[in-house]
Formats: sequence, C-alpha cells, structure tokens
Amino acid sequence: MPAIETRDLQRVFSGGVTAVAGVDLEIAEREIYAFLGPNGAGKTTMVRMLTTLLRPTGGSATVAGHDVVDEAGDVRRAIGVALQEAALDPLMTGRELIRLQATLHGLPRAEGRTRAERLLARVGLETAADRRVGTYSGGMRRRLDLASALVHRPRILFLDEPTTGLDPVSRKAIWEEVEKLNTEGTTVFLTTQYLEEADNLADRVGIIDDGRIVAEGTPSALKAEIGRPHLEVVLADGTMDRAEEILGRFGRQLPAKDGAALVELEGGAAGVAPVVRALDEAGLVVESLELVQPSLDDVFVAKTGYHLEGSETPGAEEAQPGDRPERGGEPEHVASIDP
Amino acid sequence: MAPILIFPTLLLAIQVGGAGRAVDLPAFPEVNGFLDFMIAGAMVQATLLAGNSGGIALALDIEMGFTDRLLAAPISRFAIVGGRLVGTAALGAVTAIWFLVIALIFGAHIEGGAPGALLIILLVTCSAVAFGGIGAAIALRSGSASVVQGLFPLVFVILFLSTAFFPEQLLLEPARSVAEWNPLSFIVEGIRDLVISTFSATQFAEGVAALALVALVGVGMSAAAMRGRLKRG
Amino acid sequence: MGLRADMETVRALMRRALNEILRVPGAAIPGVLAPTIFFLGLTAVFGNLTLLPGFTSDSYQSFLIPISLMQGAGFTGAATGVNLARDIEQGWFDRLLASPAPRGVLLAGLVLSASFRALVPAAVLLAIGFSLGVHWPGPGGLAIALVVTMGMAIVAAAWGTTLALRFKSQSAAPLMQAGMLLLILTTTAYAPLELLTGWLQEVARYNPVTQVVEAARQGFVGSVTWGETWPGLLALAGLTALLVALALRGMRRTAA
Repeated sequence: MPAIETRDLQRVFSGGVTAVAGVDLEIAEREIYAFLGPNGAGKTTMVRMLTTLLRPTGGSATVAGHDVVDEAGDVRRAIGVALQEAALDPLMTGRELIRLQATLHGLPRAEGRTRAERLLARVGLETAADRRVGTYSGGMRRRLDLASALVHRPRILFLDEPTTGLDPVSRKAIWEEVEKLNTEGTTVFLTTQYLEEADNLADRVGIIDDGRIVAEGTPSALKAEIGRPHLEVVLADGTMDRAEEILGRFGRQLPAKDGAALVELEGGAAGVAPVVRALDEAGLVVESLELVQPSLDDVFVAKTGYHLEGSETPGAEEAQPGDRPERGGEPEHVASIDP
Repeated sequence: MAPILIFPTLLLAIQVGGAGRAVDLPAFPEVNGFLDFMIAGAMVQATLLAGNSGGIALALDIEMGFTDRLLAAPISRFAIVGGRLVGTAALGAVTAIWFLVIALIFGAHIEGGAPGALLIILLVTCSAVAFGGIGAAIALRSGSASVVQGLFPLVFVILFLSTAFFPEQLLLEPARSVAEWNPLSFIVEGIRDLVISTFSATQFAEGVAALALVALVGVGMSAAAMRGRLKRG
Repeated sequence: MGLRADMETVRALMRRALNEILRVPGAAIPGVLAPTIFFLGLTAVFGNLTLLPGFTSDSYQSFLIPISLMQGAGFTGAATGVNLARDIEQGWFDRLLASPAPRGVLLAGLVLSASFRALVPAAVLLAIGFSLGVHWPGPGGLAIALVVTMGMAIVAAAWGTTLALRFKSQSAAPLMQAGMLLLILTTTAYAPLELLTGWLQEVARYNPVTQVVEAARQGFVGSVTWGETWPGLLALAGLTALLVALALRGMRRTAA
C-alpha cells in the first residue's frame, strides 16, 4: 500500500489562483520523496493538503491509507509535520513544547516526558531545553520542530523546506537526521528549492512547476535522461586543436570553455580511461581533466525552460544570479589528473 | 476615518439613551433634550480621537523613515506637520457636519441657527487641528506608534474629567474640580452654548482661548520635538 | 482520543494561554486599564443619576461595577481572539490543527483560559470599587458576579475566536472589542430599565445580556434572590451555546 497517494489533486484558491493543478503521486513506504521547485510552484500547498491543513478543491489524496478529507483524524495520528514557518511559541521552552506536542497526540504524561527527553537528546537540544524558544537560533528551532514532529513515532514525516535559511552545518545535521529516520523506517516527504538537497537526500524527486509535476524519478535517472556527463580537458599550450580532433572521436564535441576542450561522454566515467589513453598516445600533455555530471538544474531547465532559484550551492547565498556558471553544471571531481 | 466617527456616535447614542433622564434633574441646565446637551461632547471626543490617530500615523511615518526623507528635502519644517494638520482640519469639518446632521435628524435643536452651525464647524475644525498638533508633538517626541497608541486611554480620562458628557454642577469629585479648569471643558462649552442657547460672547471667547492654549502647547511641543529630532539626527 | 487525553490537552492549552500574562510583563495591563478608567470615569461623571427618582441604588459605583466586570471579561475575551489571530499568522495554530486533537477540544482549551484570566481585571476592579464605597454583595452575590464574569469571558473569547478564524489577522481586534462592548452597553448599563430613554430602553429590554447584568448586579444593589439569578444564568447559557457553536463551526471550516 502506498504511503501517500494522490489522484488529480487540485487546489484553486478564491480569486481564481490555481496553486496545484492536478497532481498524481504514488509514494511507497520507507521512501524519501522530494518535491523540487521554485517559490510559488505549489509545494507548500501540496504539503498543506496532504497534512489535512487545507482542503483540496479537486481530486483525492490518501495518506497512510486514509483519505485526507474524510478520515483526517486518522491521517493526523499517523503523520509528523514540520512546516516552513517553524510553528513554535517563543514564550515556551523547548521541553514544554515537545511535551505539549506529546499531549496533543494523546500520549500519557509519563510516556510523553520520556519521549521528550529522548528526542531533545537526539537533536542535541538537551542543554537548551529549558530556555525559551524565543532565544533559539534558526537551526535550533528547526531541530526542535523536527524533534516535536517525531514525538508520536509517525510513519510518515512531512518536511516543508526543512533547511531553508540554515547555515551549512545545521543543514548537514538535518540531512543526517532525516536519513537516520528513513533507515529506521519512516517515509519522508519533503519539499525543497535546493538541488543539492533533493539530489543527496531523495530516493525520488518530483519537479514541480506552476502546480504541476513536470518530471519525476530518481535523481540519477532524471539526470541521465536529460544529459550525459561531459569531460573538460585542459591541455598544455598550443595543443588544443589536436586534442579536439582526438576528443571528437569519443563523443559529441561541445563549445570550449575557459581554455578547456569539452566532449560529451556517453558512457560516463567508464569512458574516461580510453580518452586519457588516446591523448597520451598522441603525446599530448594534459594539465587537468574533469568529469562533469549533469545536474538537476539541467533537468529543471530542460523541463521548465528556466533555472531553479537557489541552484547555487546552498550556503553560498551571497552569490548573485549573474554569478552562476554558464553551463549550470556542478563539477563532480571524479577524476583530476595532473601531469 | 470611520472609527473616529463611529465610536463617538455609538457612545453618543448609548449615553443619550442611558443617561437621558438626567434632564429631569433640577440642577440640569435648560435644554431641549439630552442629545442637544451631548452633541458637543461627541464632537470634541471625535476631534481628540482624530488627533490621536493622526499622531499614530505620523509616528508610523517616522518609524518607517519616511519623515527622514521629508526632512532631507528642501521643505519647510512646519510644512511637514502642517500638511498633516490640514488633513486633520478637514476631518474636523466633516466631524462637525456629521454630528450636526445627526443632531437634526434625531430631533435636536441648534439654537444658534445657521450662523451658530457655522461657528460650530469652525470651532470643531480648530479643535481637531489643536489636538492634531498635540498628537503630532507626541509622535515627534517619541517616534513610536505604540507610545502614541498607548495614550488612547488618556483621551477618555481627559474627557471624563471635563464637562464633555455631563454638566459641571452634577459631576462628582475629583472630576468636578478638574473640569473647572480643564481647557477641554471650555472648548466643549463654547460649542455647546451655540446648540443649547443663543450666542454668548463669553462662552465663545473662553472656548477660543482654550483652543488657542492647546494649539500653542501643541506647536511649542512640536517645535521642541522637531529640534530635538534634528539634533539627534 | 479518550477523555483523559482530551482533558490533558485542554489543561495544557490553558496553561499555555496563561503564559501570555505570566511571561509577558505588562500584558495584563491594557485589559485592566480600560475597564478601570471607565469605572472611575463613569462614576465621576454620571454618579448623580442616582438622584433620579426610581434609581435602584443610592451608590452609582455599586450600580456600575457589574458592567465594569463584564467589560473586563469582554477585553479578556478579545485578547484571546487577538492571540489566536497572531498564532494563526505565525503558524503556531497549524501545529494544533495538524494534531489529532478534536476541534472541540482545541476550542475548549482556547476559550476556557479566558474565564480564568478575566479574574485579574475583576479582582482589580473589585478592590478599587470596594475602596470607593461599593456595597459588599455578600458571598452569594459575589459568587454569582464572578461566575457570570467568567461566563461572559467565555462568550467573549468564543466571539474573538470566531473573528480570528474568519479574518486570520490581528487587525480584527477592534471588531472583537467593539462587538462585546456594544453588547454590554446596550443593557441597563447606565441606569435601571425604567429610566432608560428611547431606543435603548427597547433594546435593553430584549437584550439577553441585560439579564446577565442584573444577575451580577443584585448583590451590589440589594438582596440576592433566585428569581433575579436564573434569567441571567439562562441567558448566559444561551449566549455561550450560540457563540461556542459559531466558533466551532469556524474551527471546522478553517481548512476550507
């Protein structure tokens, strides 16, 4: 039985705005599924419908086997939710908050307290637990939010942009926690605008734009479908033309960039060795060689026609749109050869 | 705009209905009806609220830095506040007309006739400007909308300690003693006189004098606050 | 969810609501200041209405104090609504809605706290009132007055909640306060029924809150009788049922 299933799910707001325009989903248990898309794509609306906070205006959705409209109570019992605006009360302490969450889920008092302590320790907030949430940093708030979402051991976890606005260290901490939860058997549905997040965390990614899924699949399948990796070779002076002639035998040539010759490699990493041998046999001196994989941004551009916001490496938020590398590829240093 | 008129109007309706029998009391001045007596108080209450809300608006402008932009521009210092006061004056005129219409609809009598009504409009307009000045002064001094907002209850304290709602001889202490010298009482009586009796030069003059006093205080405070603000930068 | 779990939830939500006045310095002041100013002001201004033949008390402050208690309850209830609107704006309310707690239980947690918070302005008003000569109502009269105050606070909180759910914004605050104020003042607030004039007399005659006011007032102006009490309790029950139903409906439709 799928953990989450939707059929033609729609949400039209009063005023005629269509936030979600018919989405079909089937997410298996123990999957990590990521919705990837820019602001306004409909990610948050989807999450709110699946977590019974918003009623669909068309189509249907079942979560943990229960209909989100008719069996909302059963859905709420089975899910944990950590939304974009970390829903915390600045006047409460971290400990009070998790205990309140336990109470809301009907846990007996003693059990609630034990769970709270365990979860606080798990997310590293034991020392801050008696301080008011208003004094917490952004990263601490997200961790507390995540911990409180787990208090009743939900089978399915919903995370709406869990690491937006966090520093790289906090981001990594959240990722590790999500992976650990998944290993323990929790299905995770998350939304994100960060390619790296979708790429690293998700088993499957759904690219959402304008309220519709425009592509869906595992990150590698998506990338493979869209493009092949290319090799960037920098040679000693004067040997470019000869090199390009040789490279041309191994795949489609691409426009040179920054003094490097580019060739598309159909076979991926396996095709690197023959190229190196060929260049070597020709007596050419290679200064550096890099295998660049297609990125999810390439997939995104292919499907929507524009780059995803925030496709820069997260944590480098100071980078302006103009700073993006022209080809949108995030170099994966599979091979770096120095003479 | 609406809350400045609606609240005093509702309060007027309720207080006329609730305390209306007071006209039967021997010490109550000679009036056509309780509404005739009360209308002046409602008008002045509205102008106080207008002054308070104008002050809040100015304080918000200051908080958002909008005023700084004006101060940097080659506009006369007084034009900044003055512009706002013109708006408040218009509000005052509308207030006067609104309550005059209500008075007529619900059976009150303007003893001063048409010239009286015009004088009322004049007095209420000046009242709005005068209290607008005080509101602006507080806004300039504090630079905080929540401070000005916090003074809202003070409006009612001042009203209760005046003859806005009841004749002086029937007030209880400490309201009675305070009302005796409260400028608000004089302003109210100046307007009230035009409604409930024929023109009395003394009442009118006292009202104008009280208005002038309030206006002076407002201008003085505003100028000082403005100077302080410019000095602080 | 089980009754025990539901009651725990109500208790926890009430505890949280108390934080508003316990952990925020000065938060209780506005709710106390307004009714106090009105009590002192109206007593000083209209106090001599007691001279009118037919006035049911010789002490205007004794006559007025139940109105002030109601006003305190009204402001407390409005504050509940404003806090909810803020919680909705900031996303806290989503946490409650996404949990399996039944909507009625959530509502109970929200509005019941108001009834206890209303005791703060009530205590201040009574202290000031007694020091200014308000007649001692006797334990029965006092108990009824306080019960009625707490009941009105629930009514006001349900009203505030309804508006908060409808408008999802703190700017609905004036409407929350004005609604209650209007309800309370269109009664025998300023004078006994027979001495009211014009439209107010008619409205007060049929306004259920008049019964509530009179029930709270009886100890302060005279003796306490069951005949004076039951109409007020009935009116209060009816108002509570109506407004709680309205609020609950708003709660259930909040996902729409």
